[in-house]
Amino acid sequence: MLLAGGFAQALTPMNLLFALIGVFLGTAVGILPGIGPALTVALLLPVTFKLDPGGSLIMFAGIYYGGMYGGSTTAILLNTPGEAASVVTALEGNKMARQGRGGPALATAAIGSFVAGLVATIGIAFLAPVIVKVAVKFGPWDYFALMMIAFVTVSATFGNSPLKGLTSLALGLWLGLMGIDGLTGQARLTFGVPELLDGIEVTTLAVGLFAIGEALMVVSMHKTNAEKPMAIKGSIWMSLEDWKRSWKPWLRGAAIGFPIGGLPAGGAEVPTFLSYNLERKLCRDKNAFGNGAIEGVAGPEAANNASAAGTMVPLLTLGLPTSATAAVMLAGFQQYNIQPGPLLFVQHAQLVWTLIASLFIANAMLLVLNLPMIGLWVRLLKIPTPWLYAGILVFAAMGTIAANPSVVELIILVLFGIAGFLMRRYDYPVAPAVVGLILGPMADLQLRRALQISLGDPMVFLNHWSSATMLAIAFIALVAPFVFKGLSRFQAEED
Amino acid sequence: MFAKLIGCGVAALCLSMSNAVAQDAKLGELSIIAPAGAGGGWDSAARAIQQVMTETGIARSIQVLNVPGAGGTVGLAQFATGAGSDANQLLVGGITMVGAIISNNAPVKLDAVKPLARLTGDPLAVVVPASSDIKTIDDLLGKIKSDVAGTVWAGGSAGGADHMLAALLTEAAGEDPSKVNYVAFSGGGEALAAMLGGQVVAGISGYGEWQGQIESGDLRALAISYPEPIEGIDAQPLKAQGVDVELVNWRGIFAAPQVSDEDMAKLTAAFDEMVKSDKWQELLKARGWADYYLPADEFASFLTEETQRIEGILTSVGLAGK
Amino acid sequence: MAEVAPGGHQRWALDRPKLVTGIILLAFAAVTAYDAYSMSFRSAYGLNPNTASYLVAGILAILGIGHFISAARPSEGAAVVEADWKAVGMMGLALASLIACVYFGAGFIAGSTLLFAFTARAFGRKAFIVDVIIGFVIAVLIFLLFNKLLTLTLPMGPLERLI
Repeated sequence: MLLAGGFAQALTPMNLLFALIGVFLGTAVGILPGIGPALTVALLLPVTFKLDPGGSLIMFAGIYYGGMYGGSTTAILLNTPGEAASVVTALEGNKMARQGRGGPALATAAIGSFVAGLVATIGIAFLAPVIVKVAVKFGPWDYFALMMIAFVTVSATFGNSPLKGLTSLALGLWLGLMGIDGLTGQARLTFGVPELLDGIEVTTLAVGLFAIGEALMVVSMHKTNAEKPMAIKGSIWMSLEDWKRSWKPWLRGAAIGFPIGGLPAGGAEVPTFLSYNLERKLCRDKNAFGNGAIEGVAGPEAANNASAAGTMVPLLTLGLPTSATAAVMLAGFQQYNIQPGPLLFVQHAQLVWTLIASLFIANAMLLVLNLPMIGLWVRLLKIPTPWLYAGILVFAAMGTIAANPSVVELIILVLFGIAGFLMRRYDYPVAPAVVGLILGPMADLQLRRALQISLGDPMVFLNHWSSATMLAIAFIALVAPFVFKGLSRFQAEED
Repeated sequence: MFAKLIGCGVAALCLSMSNAVAQDAKLGELSIIAPAGAGGGWDSAARAIQQVMTETGIARSIQVLNVPGAGGTVGLAQFATGAGSDANQLLVGGITMVGAIISNNAPVKLDAVKPLARLTGDPLAVVVPASSDIKTIDDLLGKIKSDVAGTVWAGGSAGGADHMLAALLTEAAGEDPSKVNYVAFSGGGEALAAMLGGQVVAGISGYGEWQGQIESGDLRALAISYPEPIEGIDAQPLKAQGVDVELVNWRGIFAAPQVSDEDMAKLTAAFDEMVKSDKWQELLKARGWADYYLPADEFASFLTEETQRIEGILTSVGLAGK
Repeated sequence: MAEVAPGGHQRWALDRPKLVTGIILLAFAAVTAYDAYSMSFRSAYGLNPNTASYLVAGILAILGIGHFISAARPSEGAAVVEADWKAVGMMGLALASLIACVYFGAGFIAGSTLLFAFTARAFGRKAFIVDVIIGFVIAVLIFLLFNKLLTLTLPMGPLERLI
């Protein structure tokens, strides 16, 4: 069998070492806030140039998985998501870390990533041709309908005041308007600042609202707030209970993440929102979510990793880079004169299977490297508070100016930090703003794209069964809570 | 903790990266501004120059500085104001930057810097899905003529080279280019999915991006926008098929605004040597880029004409800045 | 933070932060609507790019009014804890000095060193010199990692050029 051949090719001691180095470098760079997987891979790509194709592919896969995983570590421990896809992880993960359960949170993220990566890599190996056929049929109308489903799930991050949650969401939508409109090239809300023409970077908002906002909040309370939230309590490993609560979310997360990642414009963020919301709905203990529910870490982390693997489907079968990370990977392949595309599986079958085997190995290596590291990471929180936050600020600022060395970007980052502080102070949730910034522009673009193709006919959303079904789901999800509430009130009055 | 980790990273990186330093280089320590994020087209062009010039010993060392933003105009503005007469600072740019300056009405234009060399040029391909009734470029022009609104195009960003070519073809078919129904996607990837899914009529992208699908027969390439036929590409130029349209996605390099004539001559000679080196030619082949070299003087006059032409195209689709 | 409005109308208890938020939201809505109104480009097919702007402006306006209504209602929310504004100001100084260093060309290392030292001070650390040294070492290490090995250039200053 071809996969076995791929493993034979990939499993040499030297390659295992390359995988280990790759995972290590990927995690080390990916962990810096503001430096997402795409930049990590782009930065470390030259390291792989010196190796032979087999060795470099495997190191590459290691860097990729390491970079994906790195973002969640800071999200959990420091409430500082390194990239957009880890925003949801920070919600429950950081609550866990504050209760001294950072160890289990990191473990469920690592094992969840591994399980999801495993499931998704099997998916790539066997389902890629099927998935890609469905994926290219996905039109703008379908994406818009998918965004609507994702929007409905945002309410899960609102906390207890809909007014405040919606305000935060609206702030994100407003920021999403900024920049050149992708369809017409028209600038919106840029106030003549050229740096705003490209719009607001999601990582800048996430790092500003979370990392800097959090640091300002902590410093403003450091005298009154004697609570030292981050001591390690109990085992740093997952208990039997944690395993029981995690394994289903891992599998569900993988099932959501992989197909959406396979869509050409699916992205890694949407599946994490959907997974978080699903786990919240399925969780029996209604008070668990918002207070550090392990399901809220396990599901989204699995979804994130599975969607990352999912982006390999269009990349390998169509040569279609559907994320920034995938675009960088494509550049990596081209170094070896490999042109991913419909002919890749035919022309370079051996290499493809070596790559898939490499993904398996890198995935396993991630677990090997990171499980023992958890103890070390958790101890990060023992750094005295002044140095810890000073360090976070230095790394947050560095991540932002490394990606875009401009004073304007730094000023924007600090403004978001102040906004994050004020929002925390007056009890506005910050996550909906990030969600709004991610989903708003996507929904706007796909809506207008659909209407442009249909020459302005809104029936385009109902004429396609797929988008009509998804819109119906979104609508039901939106009104169902009100209906149920009404029904139960009605019944209560009957009694 | 972080510091320790980074220290380990440094050590590991040192092991795997060791750049050979050239002994007698013609140029000193250059820094090239890539006015786009890491991984994009201009960034890879800048890093390609970095690779070839240091390996051939033309330059001692080269640093690539990413200044992304607004189609390259942010990087251009920074370069034009900051580089002064420094011969060691260079800027990468291309047709997209020319377009972005016009459509964003950018305050700093390309005449603020000195054209040094035009380096690469990628042909654009006009394609339709394999299942389409449209078999030739004439069929496509006929379709535009009969139903300009229904001829939905897919391609890269609004105002980019793909959009310009769609407008030129609409005009060539005798229709009003402002009526072109062009759906912009972020890059050739998403546009490709729309093509394969049959959501649009025709598509435009760099030939290289869709090469795989064209060779496998999923897409039919009707024409390329390059002036001459290209070896290894079956699709013929628009000009050879009787459509008087040409558009090349070129990239070039620019020198600082007040660079002295003496330094300019040195830089021109260095780039001339680089372009003719085997390493550069190999790299072009590996990346699928066409050699579109023009030395400084000719590049300057080309740039003047090209700017005027692009302004005309963008005005016709209503995208020129006010 | 329920407060009593000045003057004779003592029965009105206004929630001032909510009132201010409402005003900010309305201002955002106005700016957005004006920006959308002044867009000249119309797309030939489908919706115009300013449709979303009007929609968001509408949402902001509704939320702004929502805040006014909510501000006028008796507030049941817990009072906001008094903040240590001196510490917040020190952190603001830390961030401002980083921006200033990058803007005036003092470079990344100087900026990060000050950012680190001032932030640590904001948290009550007294040993300023020690913190400056720690910040400096971290900044130099980061700079070396990025500039020399990842070939990603951080803002340059006199210190950076020496390395």
